[in-house]
Amino acid sequence: MDDFFFSLVLAGISVGSVYALIAIGLNLTFWTTRTLNFGQGSLMMLCAMLVVFLASQGLAMALAVIGGLLVVAALGVFVERFTIRPALVASGGSMGWVVSTLGFGIVLQGVAAKYFGSQAMAFPDVLFTTQDYVTVLGQHLSLQYLVVLALSVSLILLLELFVRKTVWGQAVFAISLDPELALVQGMPVRLIILGSFVASSLLAGVAGILSAQIGGTVDPAFGFDLVLFGFVAAVLGGMGSSFGALVGGLAVGLISKLVGGYISTAAEHAIAFALLMAMLALRPQGLLGRPEVSKA
Amino acid sequence: MARIGRRSFGALALAGAASGLSAPRIARGQGATIKFGFTAALTGPFNEFGEGIRRGAEIAVEEVNKAGGINGRRVELAEVLDDQLVPDRAVQNMRRILDNREIVGLMAPSGSGPTLAIVDMVQADGRPIINPQAQTPSIVYPNGADKPPRPNVFSISIDNTVEAAKLATALAGYRTVGILHESTGYGVTGAQLVRAELQAKRRDARLTVESYNQRAQDMTAQLVRVQRAGAEALLVIGLGADTAVIRRNMSRLNINIPLYGTAGAVTVPYIEGAGDLVVGTRAVNHAAFGRRPMHPAAQKFADLYRAKHGTDRWYGPDPANPFVSLAGTVASGYDCLNLLIDAVRRAGSTAPADIVKALNETRDFAGATIASITFTPQQHVALKVEDLGTYEMLKEGDRVVLKLRD
Repeated sequence: MDDFFFSLVLAGISVGSVYALIAIGLNLTFWTTRTLNFGQGSLMMLCAMLVVFLASQGLAMALAVIGGLLVVAALGVFVERFTIRPALVASGGSMGWVVSTLGFGIVLQGVAAKYFGSQAMAFPDVLFTTQDYVTVLGQHLSLQYLVVLALSVSLILLLELFVRKTVWGQAVFAISLDPELALVQGMPVRLIILGSFVASSLLAGVAGILSAQIGGTVDPAFGFDLVLFGFVAAVLGGMGSSFGALVGGLAVGLISKLVGGYISTAAEHAIAFALLMAMLALRPQGLLGRPEVSKA
Repeated sequence: MARIGRRSFGALALAGAASGLSAPRIARGQGATIKFGFTAALTGPFNEFGEGIRRGAEIAVEEVNKAGGINGRRVELAEVLDDQLVPDRAVQNMRRILDNREIVGLMAPSGSGPTLAIVDMVQADGRPIINPQAQTPSIVYPNGADKPPRPNVFSISIDNTVEAAKLATALAGYRTVGILHESTGYGVTGAQLVRAELQAKRRDARLTVESYNQRAQDMTAQLVRVQRAGAEALLVIGLGADTAVIRRNMSRLNINIPLYGTAGAVTVPYIEGAGDLVVGTRAVNHAAFGRRPMHPAAQKFADLYRAKHGTDRWYGPDPANPFVSLAGTVASGYDCLNLLIDAVRRAGSTAPADIVKALNETRDFAGATIASITFTPQQHVALKVEDLGTYEMLKEGDRVVLKLRD
C-alpha cells in the first residue's frame, strides 16, 4: 500500500476514534435528557491536566489516571445537578442548558488556568511512546495511534453491548423514547439521568487522556476544538446512534486527513464543517439516525 | 532687626511670585516620576512572552531607580496591562495607556497580531514605542524596508527578514526543504521570506510549504506531504507547543530528517512537550546568551535576573548557562526600557519629539540581547544577522542544552 495513503488513513481513523468517543459522550446525555454537555471539552482538559499534576506528585501513572477520571466523574454529577436540571426546569425545555454547559466549561478553564497555569503542560506517555511501533506488511504502525484506536472502539462496543444487553441499558433506551412513561413504569429515571452524565464525563476524560497523548501537551484551552469535531461526528452519524457516532467519528477523521493530504492542509478542518452543513441540509437525521417523531 | 519697607516688600512679593511660578515647575520636574507603559500577554497560553518582558522591564526600572533615577527623577511602570495576545484587547489596553498623558514612552506587545493592531494608533499619537518581540517587518516599515520607517516606532526584536536570512544560510545545504508554518501573520510572512532567501541562495532549491493552525493536535497531513515531496530537512515557523506536536508526530510517522526551528519554536514548551525527541533540533535564536564568554551586558542581565527570580522556568535550571531564549522572552523587555530611559536622559526632556530624536541618535548602546544597538532616522530595526546564532539541542545528563554551532 502507498505509504502516503496509509499514514493518512492510520492517523485519520485514530484521531477519528477520539471524535467518536466524544460523540458517544454527547449521545449519552442526549438519550436521557435531550441535552448536550458543551462543557465536555473542559472535562477532557481537566482530566488530562489532573493526570499530569498527580503524576508529577509521584503517583503511579495508573493511579493518576484513575484520580483524574474520578474527579471528572464527580463533575458529571455537578453538571447534571447544577447546569442541566435547573435549566430544564426553569426554561421548560428551551435551550438554556446550552449557555449553562458552555459557562461551566469556561469556568473550568479559568479554574485550571488559576491552579495549573495557562502554559502548555507536557503530557507523559501513558502506554507507549511516540517511538514505539510495529511493522505490518512493511508499514510502520505507531502503537500510540493503535492504542487510541483500540481503546476507543472497545469502549464504544462495550457501551453498545451495555445498552442492548442489560436491563439498565434497556432502561436508558426506554427513557430516551419516553421519560414520562419510564417514570410511571417505576424506573429510577433521575438515577439513570445522573448515571448518563457520569458516564459521559468519564468518556470525556478518557478522550482527553488519549488525545493529550497524541499531542504531547495540554493547556486550559485544550479540548474545545475536539468537542466541535465530536459534535460534527455525532450529527454526521446520527444524533443518538452509537454506531452512527463511531461511523461519524471515523468518517470525520479520515476525510479530514485525506483532504488535508491530497488536496490542501488549509482545508483539513474546514471540510468537517462543510460535511456538517451538507448533512443537516440533505439528511438531518444523520447517516444511521432515525428521523425524530414528536408526540402530538 | 531690619525693617522691610512697602516698596521693598512689593519687590520681594513680585520676586516671590515669580519664583513661585517657576518653583513648582522645577519641583514637579524633579519630584514627578517618569512613567512608561505597555500591554502584553501577561496571562494566557502565551504568557511566557508577556510575563517575560514584564520581568525584564521591571529589572530595568529597579536598576535605574537604585542608581538615582533619570536626572534625579524616579522611573515607574505606570500602566502594565494584560492582553493575552488577543489583538482586540491590546487595542483597548493601548487606548487606555495613550489616554494617560503622563506616560512618556511605550513598549510594544508580545506578538505580531497585537502589535500590528496597535501600531497605527501609536504612530498617530507620536509617543515613542520600542518593539521587543513581534517579528513582522511591517510593524516598523509599513511600506517596505526600502521606504522610511514609522517615525516613532523602533524595534530590537528578531525581525522576520533577519531571521529568514540566517535560516536560509543554515538550510542552504539542502536542496529540498519542507516548511511548516503557523497560519498567523508571523508564520505566513516568515515562510515567504525564508522561501525568497533560500531561492536567492540556491537557484535549484525546491520548497514544500504547508500551514497549520495554532494548537492543532495532529499534523500528519502536513508532514506526509512534506515527506512525499522528498524533503531533506524541515523548518517549523511557529511557537514551542506546536513544534512539540510536530516533533512527536514526526517520530510516530518515522520521519527522520533534520528539524530546524525559529526563535519562537525552541522555547520551554517545546523542550517540555517533546522531551528527549528535541535532541538534534537546530534553531536560530539570539547569540547573546549562547556565546562564551557572554558579552558584559548579557552577563549582567543574567546575573540580575538570577538574583531576583532564581533558576526558574525562563532562566533554566543551570545557573551558569541560562536558556538562550532568555534573550527574546525576558531580556528584550529589559533592553526596551533601558533604551527609553537612555533616550530620556540624553534628551533631558520627556517631550515625545525629543525622546524620538534621542532614540534616532542611539549609537552602540550596550544591550543584553544585542551587543551594540544603533538607530538612525532611517534604520529603526537594531538586530543584524550577526546577532543571531544557529543552535543545536543536545542532552547533557538529564538536561537539554543548546550549543551554538554558527
